[in-house]
Amino acid sequence: MTNSIDTSIYTAITEAIQDEARRILSERSVIAVVGYTAARRKGSAQPVVITQADDAGKLIFSAACVNNLAVYLTKAKKEIPKGGKIGIVVKGCDLKALVGLLGESQLKREELYLIGVPCAGVLASTAQPARELTGDTIAPKCRECDNHLPQGCDFVPDQRPVTLELAGKYSAEIARLEAMTPAERWAYWKEQFKKCIKCYACRQVCPFCFCEQCLCDRNKPQMVETTPRPAGNTAWHIVRAMHLAGRCAGCAECERVCPMDIPLNLLNRKMAKELKELYDYEAGFEVREKGPLAMYDEKDDQSFIK
Amino acid sequence: MSRIGVFICHCGENISRTVDVERVAAQVGTLPGVAFSTDYKYMCSDPGQGLLKKAIQEQRLSHVVVAACSPRMHEKTFRKAVESAGLNPFLCEMANIREHCSWVHEDREEATQKAIEIVGMMVERVKKNRVLPTITVPVTKRSLVIGGGIAGIQAALDIADCGHEVVLVEREPSIGGHMAQLSETFPTLDCSQCIMTPKMVDVANHPKIKLYTYAEIEHVEGYIGNFQVTVRKKARSVDEDKCTGCGVCMTKCPQKKIPNTFDRNLGMRPAIYVPFPQAVPNTPVIDRENCTKFKTGKCGVCQKVCGPGAVDYEQEDQLIVEPVGAIVVATGFDLYSIEEKPKGSPIKGYGEFGHGKIPDVIDGMTFERLASASGPTGGKILRPSDGREPKQIVFIQCVGSRAREKGISYCSKICCMYTAKHTMLYHHKVHDGQAYVFFMDARTPGKSYDEFWRRSIEEEEAVYIRGMVSRLYQKGDKIVVMGSDIAVGVQVEIEADMVVLATAVQPQKGADTLAQKLGISYDKYHFYSEAHAKLRPVECATAGIYLAGACQGPKDIPDTVSQASAAAAKVMTLFAKDKLEREPIVAKVREAGCVGCFYCRKVCPYGAVEEKEIRDRQGNLIKVVAYVNPGVCGGCGTCQATCPSKSVELDGYTDEQIVAMIESL
Ligand SMILES: Cc1cc2nc3c(=O)[nH]c(=O)nc-3n(C[C@H](O)[C@H](O)[C@H](O)COP(=O)(O)OP(=O)(O)OC[C@H]3O[C@@H](n4cnc5c(N)ncnc54)[C@H](O)[C@@H]3O)c2cc1C
Ligand code: SF4
Ligand code: SF4
Ligand code: SF4
Ligand code: SF4
Ligand code: SF4
Repeated sequence: MTNSIDTSIYTAITEAIQDEARRILSERSVIAVVGYTAARRKGSAQPVVITQADDAGKLIFSAACVNNLAVYLTKAKKEIPKGGKIGIVVKGCDLKALVGLLGESQLKREELYLIGVPCAGVLASTAQPARELTGDTIAPKCRECDNHLPQGCDFVPDQRPVTLELAGKYSAEIARLEAMTPAERWAYWKEQFKKCIKCYACRQVCPFCFCEQCLCDRNKPQMVETTPRPAGNTAWHIVRAMHLAGRCAGCAECERVCPMDIPLNLLNRKMAKELKELYDYEAGFEVREKGPLAMYDEKDDQSFIK
Repeated sequence: MSRIGVFICHCGENISRTVDVERVAAQVGTLPGVAFSTDYKYMCSDPGQGLLKKAIQEQRLSHVVVAACSPRMHEKTFRKAVESAGLNPFLCEMANIREHCSWVHEDREEATQKAIEIVGMMVERVKKNRVLPTITVPVTKRSLVIGGGIAGIQAALDIADCGHEVVLVEREPSIGGHMAQLSETFPTLDCSQCIMTPKMVDVANHPKIKLYTYAEIEHVEGYIGNFQVTVRKKARSVDEDKCTGCGVCMTKCPQKKIPNTFDRNLGMRPAIYVPFPQAVPNTPVIDRENCTKFKTGKCGVCQKVCGPGAVDYEQEDQLIVEPVGAIVVATGFDLYSIEEKPKGSPIKGYGEFGHGKIPDVIDGMTFERLASASGPTGGKILRPSDGREPKQIVFIQCVGSRAREKGISYCSKICCMYTAKHTMLYHHKVHDGQAYVFFMDARTPGKSYDEFWRRSIEEEEAVYIRGMVSRLYQKGDKIVVMGSDIAVGVQVEIEADMVVLATAVQPQKGADTLAQKLGISYDKYHFYSEAHAKLRPVECATAGIYLAGACQGPKDIPDTVSQASAAAAKVMTLFAKDKLEREPIVAKVREAGCVGCFYCRKVCPYGAVEEKEIRDRQGNLIKVVAYVNPGVCGGCGTCQATCPSKSVELDGYTDEQIVAMIESL
C-alpha cells in the first residue's frame, strides 16, 4: 500500500519518554507523570499515572495512544496526586486543550512539566488497535492536523514525524453542509441529535467540560430537559457547541467516545471556522487572557447591528 | 402562600384605549397567589399610590405587581410607595402594558390578551422575588468634564465654584471650542473672544480645576459615584511645566506653511504652534506629522532657541487614571461638509454645489474667521481665491439640514440666526455690497431673536429670497447661483462674488466611540441621548453621566450655557450626599457550582469580580471561586449570561425568575 504512514519513530519516542520520565521522577522534580501504557488487547494503549521512577518503563507511545490526557488534570484530578508538579505526555492536539485550560485558570504552567510528542497521527476509533497506520486507518482529526510537532513544551524527543498529504474530511463535510439550505441543514442535525442517548460520555471526556455541575444537570430551574427526547437533545447539543466555541481545538475525543456515532467534532470544527472567519482567532496556540467571545473590541465587526 | 396584589393602570387613556383594563384585572385576579386585583385611572398619582398602600395593609399583601408604563420612569415611584406601606421595595415589580402593549397594538382584543399574559408573567416572577436590602456606596466628590468648549467651560466653572474638584479634558491643544472661532455673536453682536477669553482664563487659574488639553478619554470603568477614568495625555513635545509661553519657538520654526485649521485653513501656522493667540494653556504643541525634525530627523531649531529648555522630542503619551464621581459630556459639534463622502456614510455631499471645489464657496464658520478681528484677514471680508472684497454675496441656509435626501432630516437650529448675523456683519464691513439669502423659512424663536432677524432685513437691507438653490458653478471670476423664488414663482440667477453655506450641525467625529467607552446611548446621527426628552433633558440614561451643549443636539450659546449649568447642578446634587443609596441588584456567586474559570471576571465591565479561596477546617485550599464585590457590581448581568455552569446570578433577575416568566406563557 502506498498510503501507509511511517510510525517507526514511535519506538524511539517511547524510549525518550521513558528516559525523561525516569529522570524527572527520580530527581523529584515532578510527583507524577500522566502518560500511556500498553493495555490488555494486543496493540492497544490506555492512560496511566505513574509516581515511581521504576515504573517509567511502562510508558509507551504508539498509534493507539488516542486519548487526550489533559482531561485527567481537570475533572479526574482527584486521581492525580496533589502537592507538586505533574508531568504529562501531550500530542499537538492535546497540547491545545492544555493551553486553553491554562487560559481558563484551571491549570498553572509552573505546575506542569510538558513532554511533547512529535506525532504522525493516531488510529481512528473505527480501526482495530493493532492495525497499521495508513491513510485509511488514520483518525479524521489527524488528516487536518496543524500541530504535529508541539511547541513550548519542556521536553520533546528529537524525532521528526513524516506525514502524508491527506484530503480533509471535516472540511469536506463542512463544505457539504454549508451548501445546504438552512432547512436541509436543520433536518440533518435533527436527525443526528435524535440519536443521542444522553450518556454524557462526550462531556465526560472533554477537557473543557470541567464544570462541577453542568448547566444541563441543574434543576432549579431546569435549564435543559434531562430525558433523551428530541427537544432536550437539541438543547444539550446547542449548549455543548456554544460552550466549546472558541475553546475547543479539536482533539475529537467527544466524537471518538460517542456510542451513537454523532459527528460531534464536525459541529466543533464549524464553530472554530466561524471564529476564524469572524475574529481571526484559533484556539490553542497561545495562552490568552480573553478569547474573542469574552471580550468587546471597538474594531469588532458591528455590521450585524442594523 | 403569596398574597399578591395586582394594580392595572389606565394611564389616562393611554392604556385603556386599547386594553380592556377591567378584564385584565378580573382575569389576573384568578391566578393562584393573587389575593387582590384592581384597576385605576392613574396609578402614579397621589390617590393611585394611596390605593396601593391601603391595599397592602388591608389585604396583608406579600408582593405587588403594578401593570402600567415602562419601569424606567415609575419603578422607583411604586417601590417607594410599597416601602412606605411596610413591604420591602424589591417585592414590587412593574408589568409594562403601555410601551410593550397598548402603544404598539391596535386590535383591542389581541392587546387585552397580550396584557393578560404580560401581567401573568410578572405575577409568576414576583413570587420568586426575595427581600433585598439597600446597598450604600461612597461618592467620590470630583467630576470629569469632557470637552472644553463653552459648555464644558461653564459646567467646570460652576462645579468648581461650588468647591468640588473638576478634571477637564480637551482633545485640542487649547480649550475654547467653536465659540473661540466666532467673530461677533447673535443676538447682541458682542465680540465672542471678548466674552469667551475671560472664562478660559478663569478655568486655567481655578484652583479646583485640573486641565488636560491635547488629551482624550482612553477608558472608563466604574459607575455613578465611583468612576475610574483613564486619560491619554498626548505627547505635546513641549514640557508644560518648563514652558513660559514666550513663543520664540513659533517665530523661529522654519516650517511655516501648514494650513491653520482654527482659521479654517485660510491662514498658515508653524509646526510648533498654539492654535490662536489667546489659547489656554498658552503652551505650544508640535504637530509631529508636519515637523521636519520628526519627519527627517534634521532641524531641531525650536529646541535650540527655547530658553527654559521645554522642547522635548522624546516625550511620550501619558496615561493617567482619575477617580471621579460624575461625568459631564460636552464634546460639541462639527460641521457638515459638502465634499464627496466615502461609501457607507449617510452623508451625500453636494455635487450640485461643486463638492467644495469652488474656492469662493465657503461655509459659515469660515465666514466667522474672515469677519473676526483676530482672523487671517484682520476682520476684512476678502475672497480666498484672489483677496478681493466681494460686492455681491449670497448666503444659502439649510445646507445639509432638513434634507433627508442628503442624510439629515433635522433642523440645525442656529443657521437662520447666524446667517442674519452674517448679513449684518457683511453690510457693516462692505458698505457698497449687497447680501442675498436663500432660505426655506426663518426660525427665530428665542428672546430678541425675531427682532434681530427683522433688523437684518429692515435696517441692514439684506435681500431674503424664499427658495432653494439648485446649482452653483464658476463662471469667470463669478459664481453663478441658480435658484428659485417660490414666493414670486420665478427662477433667479445671481452672479455672486462669494457664497456662504450654512452647513448642518453634526456631532463631533468619534462621538460614537466615546459613547461606547462611557456606556451612553446616542441617536442615529450620533447625538447623545438624554434620559427623557422632557423631564430629564441633561441626564444620560446611564447614572452619573450628564450632557451639556451641542453634543446632545444643535444649540446656540445661550442654550448651551443653560444646559451646562443645569448639568453642573445635577452633579452638585449628587455630591451633596456622602453616600449613595443604590439598588441591590448585584450579582452573587453560587460557590458550590463555581469552577473558577473566571470568565465572569473577563467579561465584567465594572471590574467587580475577585478571587476567593475556599478552605476546609484544616486550612487546606479546596478551590478558588469567583466573588462579586457588591459595592462595585453595576448589576449588568453580563457575568450571568457568560458563566458556563450558571453559577453566578443577578439578585432580582435570577434564572428562576426568568424561567418562571417564560413558563407562565
Ligand atoms: C458658523 C457659526 C456661527 C455661530 N454663531 C453663534 C452666535 O452668534 N451666537 C450663538 O449663540 N451661537 C452661535 N453658534 C453656535 C455656537 O458655536 C455653539 O452653540 C457652541 O459653540 C456650542 O458649544 P459646545 O461647548 O457645546 O461645543 P463646541 O464649541 O463644539 O466645543 C466642544 C469641545 O469639545 C472638544 N471635544 C470634542 N470631542 C472631544 C473628545 N472626544 N474628548 C475631549 N474633547 C473633545 C472639542 O475640541 C471642543 O473644544 C454658531 C455656530 C456656528 C457653526
Ligand atoms: S491531531 Fe495531530 S497531534 Fe493530534 S493525534 Fe493527530 S496527528 Fe497527532
Ligand atoms: S456521547 Fe453521544 S450519545 Fe452520549 S451524550 Fe454525547 S452525543 Fe449524546
Ligand atoms: S456543557 Fe457547558 S456547562 Fe456543561 S460541563 Fe460542558 S462547559 Fe460546563
Ligand atoms: S464564570 Fe461561573 S464558574 Fe466561572 S468563575 Fe465565574 S461564577 Fe465561577
Ligand atoms: S452583574 Fe456581573 S458582570 Fe455585571 S457588574 Fe456585576 S459582577 Fe460584573
